[in-house]
Amino acid sequence: MTTAESRSEIDILIRTYRLLARMNRAQNKGGSSHTLYFQLLADYYTRVRNAHEEGKLLAAHTVFFPTEVLYAMDIVPMHTEMTTWLSALFLREQAGLLAKGAELGLAPEICSPHRGVAGIFALNAIPRPDIILWSNLICDNTAKSGELMMELSDSPGFFLDNPFQNSSGEMDYLVGELEDMVHFLEERSGRKMDWDRLSEMVARTNDEIDLYREIGELRKAVPSPMSVMDDLELLSADYMFPGQPEAIQYLTHLRDELKGMVQEGKGAVTNERFRLMTLFIPPMYLMSYLEQLFEEYGAVSVVEPLFTLWSEGWLDPAHPLESVAKKSFLIPERRSMYGPLGEQALQDIIDCAEQYKVDGAIYWAFMGCRHTCATIKVIKETLSEVDVPMLTIDCDIVDPTINSEEEVREKLEQFFEMLEDR
Amino acid sequence: MQTLGIDIGSLNIKAVVLDEEGPIGTSIMPLGDEVGDSVHAALEKATTEAGLSLDSLPVVATGVGAKTISFVPQQKSITTCLARGIQYLFPSARMAIDMGAESTTVIKLNERGRLTDWANHDKCASGTGLFLQQMAKLMGLPLDEMARLSLQARARADITNTCAVFAESEVISHVHRDPPTPKEDIIAGIYYSVVSRIMSMCKRVGITREVAVTGGAALNDGLVNILEQELGFEVLKPASPQIVAALGAAIVARENSEKGTKK
Repeated sequence: MTTAESRSEIDILIRTYRLLARMNRAQNKGGSSHTLYFQLLADYYTRVRNAHEEGKLLAAHTVFFPTEVLYAMDIVPMHTEMTTWLSALFLREQAGLLAKGAELGLAPEICSPHRGVAGIFALNAIPRPDIILWSNLICDNTAKSGELMMELSDSPGFFLDNPFQNSSGEMDYLVGELEDMVHFLEERSGRKMDWDRLSEMVARTNDEIDLYREIGELRKAVPSPMSVMDDLELLSADYMFPGQPEAIQYLTHLRDELKGMVQEGKGAVTNERFRLMTLFIPPMYLMSYLEQLFEEYGAVSVVEPLFTLWSEGWLDPAHPLESVAKKSFLIPERRSMYGPLGEQALQDIIDCAEQYKVDGAIYWAFMGCRHTCATIKVIKETLSEVDVPMLTIDCDIVDPTINSEEEVREKLEQFFEMLEDR
Repeated sequence: MQTLGIDIGSLNIKAVVLDEEGPIGTSIMPLGDEVGDSVHAALEKATTEAGLSLDSLPVVATGVGAKTISFVPQQKSITTCLARGIQYLFPSARMAIDMGAESTTVIKLNERGRLTDWANHDKCASGTGLFLQQMAKLMGLPLDEMARLSLQARARADITNTCAVFAESEVISHVHRDPPTPKEDIIAGIYYSVVSRIMSMCKRVGITREVAVTGGAALNDGLVNILEQELGFEVLKPASPQIVAALGAAIVARENSEKGTKK
C-alpha cells in the first residue's frame, strides 16, 4: 500500500514538475521541449502515485532495465536511480537520502545513486512497489542493490542476468532470461504479455533511435544548438519512456527546436568558443551552474559518445523479445560501463572528435563508478592521437559534498585557458 | 617594456617585475590577515627594487588568492603562469612539479611553453609544503635541519600518504617506538610519502624530461633528493623556485600588452 509519507513526497515531486512546466510555458510563450519534459515527468510520477488505486502492479526497477516489457503488460514502472537523481536535481533532497543510506551501512565509496535508492526506500519516500526488478546492466552496484530493495520494501523480485558480449549464444541466453522474466511478471500481475503491443513499442524504439541519431547530426553544427540541461533530458527520454509515444513526442519536439536553431545559426551559448566532448555525466546538482559557466566561457558540449551516441543497428518488430535483448547491446552507456570497452568504442570517440570539431574533452570521473574510470587513460591517449586534450574531474553525480562550485570553476577555467592558449 | 606578475599563494605573496633583460625586481612576503595590505607591500617592494612605479606597469595576478584582489583586473591560472615561467627559465623543460604550501601541481608543456596537461593534488594537506612544516614541528626540527638529516638516512620509515592527520599519528608512533625509529629514517619516510604522491601525478600526465621543480618546497634539498631518486634523473631547479609563477604572470602581462588585449 502507498503510505501517507510516500504519498506526500511523490505529491511534492509531481507539483514541482507541474510548476516547472507552467513556468517554462510562460517563459517560452506556449512551451518548449523543456515544458514537455517537465509535463511528462509529472505524468510519469502521477502514474506511479495512482498505480495501486487503479489496480495496476507497480514495479521498481534499476537503470537500463527493459521496461518496454512492463509497458506492454500495463505494469507501471518506477525508475529507482532516476527518481533519486531527479530528487537530487529538483528537490535538493540528496543529503537526506544519502544520510539514510549511510544509516543502512552503505559506505561513501558505494555509488551515490544506489545509496540514495536505499535511502529513498528506507524513508518510504516513494510508494511501496509490488515487485523489484533489477539486473547487472550496468554495473555491480546495480546487480547488488536488488536484495536490499527487496528487504526494505518487503517485495518479491526478479534478477535479469545480462551477458557481457554480443555473441549469438549470449543473445540466446539473454532472450531466455527475458522469457523467464515475462513468466514472472505474468504470474505476479495476473496479466498475459501483449506481444502485439510489445512489437509496436519495438517499432517505436526504432523511431526513437532514429531521432537520437538525427539530434546527434544537428549538434555537429557550428555553433552547436544543445545545452547541458538538454543533455540530461535527452538521457531521461529513453531511461523513462523507452518505446513510448512520450519519448517520440519529446524527441521530435527537441529535434525540431534544434533544427530551427541550426537554420537560424543560433547556438546553445551566445558566443561559442569551445566545443567539448563530454565523457560520463556531470554532477546533477551542478547542472544550472554549469549552464551559467558554459555561457560565460562560450563552452558547449557537442557530443557524448558514451551516453548519447547509439551503436549501429536496428530492431525487428517481428521479433520483439529478441529486439529488446538486442537493444541492450545498442545503448550508448554500455560502451564504457559494461563489459570490455572495445576497439569500436575508441574508434567512435576518434570519429566523434573529428566530426563534431571537438576542441577538448571533459571526463567527469564519477567516484562511485570506479570501473568506468578505468577507461580514463585509454580514452585520454586515444584523444591525444587526434590532438584533443582531456580534462579529468573527480566528482560525484549526486553527492554535493565531493566538489564545490568554486573547485569545478577553477578546473574548467584552467582547461579553457589551456585550450585558448594552444 | 616592463611588466609585473603577482602570485598570491596560501602562505606567501610573490611579485616579479620583468623587463627585456629579465627580472629586475622581486619580492616574497608572508600573507597577512589583510590580503590587500600584503599584496600592496609585496608590489611596493618589487617595484621599488626595480625603480619603477606600480601605476605605470601592466599587471597579471595568479595563485589561489588572485580573485580576492580587485585592483588587478587581469588574471591567469597558476598552471599557465607556471608553464610560461618555466619555459623562460628552462626552455628544455617539458614538465614542472610545483610544490606549494597547500597544493601540488604537475604540469606538462610543449616546446613553445604552452600547457598541454596537468594534474593536481588539492584534496588533502598530505603531500604539500604545509604538511612538511607540520612534520617539522612534530619532529622538533627546523626544515633545513630535517632536509640535512634526511640525506643521512639508511632506510625509509613507512608513512602512509592518504591523510595528513593519520600520517602525523604514524610519525608519533615511530618516535615513541622502543627502540625509536632513527630520526633520519623517519624524515626520509615523510619525504618519500610526499614524493610518492607527486610520482603518481607525474605518471598520470606522463613523465617527460627535462623536469623542473618549483614552489617553496623545492627549496628542501632532502625532498628534492628523494624525488630525483624516484624519477631516476636530476631535476632542474631555479635559483628562486618560489617566484616562477609570478615570473610567468609577468610574461603573460607582457604578451597581453603586446597583443593589446584586456584579458
